[in-house]
This record gives sequence, structure tokens and C-alpha cells, in this order.
Amino acid sequence: MSGTLAVLVLAAQSADKPINDLTPKPQELVIGAVAFAIVFAFMAKWVIPRVNTILEERRQKIQGDLEQAEKTRKEADKQLVDYREQLSGAKDEANQIIEEARKTAEAMRKEMAAKAEEESKEIVARAQEEIRAERDRVFQELKAQVGELSVQLAGRMVGESLDKDRQLRLVDDYIEELTAMAPASNGNGNGNGNEEQG
Amino acid sequence: MTGLLGLAFDKPTTKDFVFRCLSGSARVGGVAFCLNWVVLMLIIAVTAYLLLFFLAFRKPKVVPGKFQLIMESGLEFVRQQVVLQMIGPEGMGFLAFLTTLFFFIFLGNILEVIPGTGFPLNSRLAFPLVMALIAWVVYNAVGIRHHGFFGYLKLVVVPPGAPAWLLPFLGLIEFFSVIIVRPITLTLRLTANMIAGHFLLAVFFLGTLTLATGVPYVLGLVSFGLALLLVVFEIFVAGLQAFIFAVLTASYVAGAAASEH
Repeated sequence: MSGTLAVLVLAAQSADKPINDLTPKPQELVIGAVAFAIVFAFMAKWVIPRVNTILEERRQKIQGDLEQAEKTRKEADKQLVDYREQLSGAKDEANQIIEEARKTAEAMRKEMAAKAEEESKEIVARAQEEIRAERDRVFQELKAQVGELSVQLAGRMVGESLDKDRQLRLVDDYIEELTAMAPASNGNGNGNGNEEQG
Repeated sequence: MTGLLGLAFDKPTTKDFVFRCLSGSARVGGVAFCLNWVVLMLIIAVTAYLLLFFLAFRKPKVVPGKFQLIMESGLEFVRQQVVLQMIGPEGMGFLAFLTTLFFFIFLGNILEVIPGTGFPLNSRLAFPLVMALIAWVVYNAVGIRHHGFFGYLKLVVVPPGAPAWLLPFLGLIEFFSVIIVRPITLTLRLTANMIAGHFLLAVFFLGTLTLATGVPYVLGLVSFGLALLLVVFEIFVAGLQAFIFAVLTASYVAGAAASEH
């Protein structure tokens, strides 16, 4: 059969028609089929399985990487939440500390204010005491002077010189009497009373 | 030749597709074999094919290098654009077959524009014919395996929804188209494209030689520019025809496996 074909092909070639230049040669059919078979076997047995293996490996690697990334992301989220909680806890604590400090400060302020008030009262009281003492001292002095002046004045007016010591005693007695009459009245009243009496 | 032209214009003829034996011939099983230019180129093409894929996937890496990536992209292209597009995920069993078709045809075509060879293997009718016949066997086998012999025959000759009185005509046309015409069109489309491409390039490159040595020389430049453009165009055609062959085969397989038209 193929022998006949070859003969036909040869005959056609000898006829020298262009179409015969283009018709398939028997050896080309056979070699073409063999070539295709070789290449196909190579693809089917070697290339495609290898490529599939590597694609599968790549797929798994990518999937693994993605899963790993997802895991890492979740961990990071969790840590963030933790940190936030800690942070808010710290804030509360800080607020508490500040509050306590404020209370302490307030207490100290009050204490100091009370102490200061007490001190000031004390100072005032002492001052009053001093003033009273001074006043008493001045009063005593005035009393002596007033007595002296009164005796001088009375001596001039009467024209005769009384015994000075006796006169002063008289005045003193008088003033003592006045003081005894109004022991609760203030210094001014006493002074006024003395002058009126003088 | 006239004095106006320089070198004689050797117009390309169909003789350009016939090659002398370079060795003695031997007869095996009634077929005479000899080593000629075509066989040599086929050996080169097959070797190149094996080498390309071997080097790319000798030590495949999860993170691919440049070369591995390029070859992977080629396989990925067939996987996506041919197998998944035409058949779907269940067509993955045909991945090896369809990638072989695509790359083997592409290599056979691209030889046309490789300097030093300049001859597309697939312009020899025998090679596309062999592949078309293999495709024919494959898609018919798929049909018979899915539907049984008569089931497949019915699927082929009875278009769904056709009026009964038209069935004899439609059945004949369908049978003729699916069983007889398909391998022929597959073969002729590819072969004719490659023969035409080879003629085109031959005309413009030979024309360049003739015109550039004649008067006016400038026409040689025009011819050369066109020839270079055509080289780019033929690279495109080489890829396109390989793709069309693979896609049509995939579509025939999908049609044969389908439960309905």
C-alpha cells in the first residue's frame, strides 16, 4: 500500500506539476508522527508532571505563607487589644493617684490654714496683751502726772503751798477710790473719770 | 537580463519546497527514508523543543528564574486560553496533548524567520496532516468514550431542535463537516499559511537582492523594509496559527465530550 503510494508520488513528481511539490512524502508522514510522539511523550511524562508538582508546591507555599500571615496578624491584633487594656488600666491608676494626691494636698492645705489661723489668733492675743500692759503702764504714768499737775494747779489757785507729800497722797487715795468704784470700766472711761475728777 | 536590473530575479516556485536527499536512502517497511533538509530541520526542531523544556524544568524552583518563568508562562497560556477556555477544568487531561500541539506547531512555524533555516516545517503538508489526524483520532475517541459509538454518531449527525424532514440533509452535512472536513481544514489552514508566508518572505528578500543591485537602488531599500515588516508579521502568524490549531482541537474535543451540541 505504502509502496504504491511511493510509486504514485514518484510518478507525480516526474509529471512536474507544482501541486506535486507540495504533497506529503511518505517518509515525512512517518518521521512527523514519530517526532510528535517523542515530543508528546516528553511533555506528558516529564514536563507536565514536573510543572504540576512545582505549581502545587508553590500553591502550598503561598497558602502556607498566607495562613502564617493571617496568624501573625491575629496575634498582633490580640496584642494590640492587650496593650490598649493595659493602657486604659494605667490611665485609671494614674487618675487614682492624682485624685489621692489632690486629697492629700487638700488635707495639708486645710491643716496648714488651721495652724496659720491659730498662730494668727495667738499673735493677736499676744499683741492685745502687750497693748493692755502698755496701756496699764501709760495709765499709771498718767495717773502720777495728773496728780502732780493737779497739786501744782491747786497750789497756785489756793495761793498757799500745801505739804506736797500729803497732797499727792490725797490725790492718790482719791484715784484709788475711783478705780475701786468702777473696776470693770475701760481705760478710757477711767481716764475720763480721772480727768473729770481732777 | 536587461541592463536595467542587476542580479536576476529568481522567482520563488513550489520547487523551493522540495529537497534532495543528503544521504543514501534506506527502505523500512516499504517507505524510503533519507536525510534531507526537511528531516534535518525536524530533528533540529525536536531537539530545540526538548532542550528548551529540559533546561527550563531540569531543576524547577518554587520561586522561578527568568527562563523557567518564561516557559511556565507559555504552559500557563495554553492552560488558560486553550484548555480552560475551550474545555474547562475537566479538560486538564488534555493539557499535555494541547501544549505539545501548540509548541510543536509554533516551533515548526517560527523556523521560517530564523536566519539560516528560513523554512517553515509546517509548509510541508505531511506535518500538519499528521497532527490533524492525531487530533481527529483524539476527539472522536473522546466522543465515543463519552457517548458510545452510536451515541456519538447520533450526537454528530442529529442537531438538536432541527425539523425532522431536514434531518437527512443536516445529518449528512454535519457528518461531512465533523468527520471529514475538520482534519482537512486543520491541515490546509496551517500548511497554506506557512507556504504563503514563505513565498512572501522569499519574494521580498530575493526582490531586495535584485533591486538593490540594479537601478534605482532605492527600491531595494523599500523592498528590504517591507521584508523586515513581513518577518514581524510572520512571527505573529506563526504564533497565531499554532494557537488556532490548538484551540480548534480543544473545541472539537469539548464538542465531542459535551452532552449536547
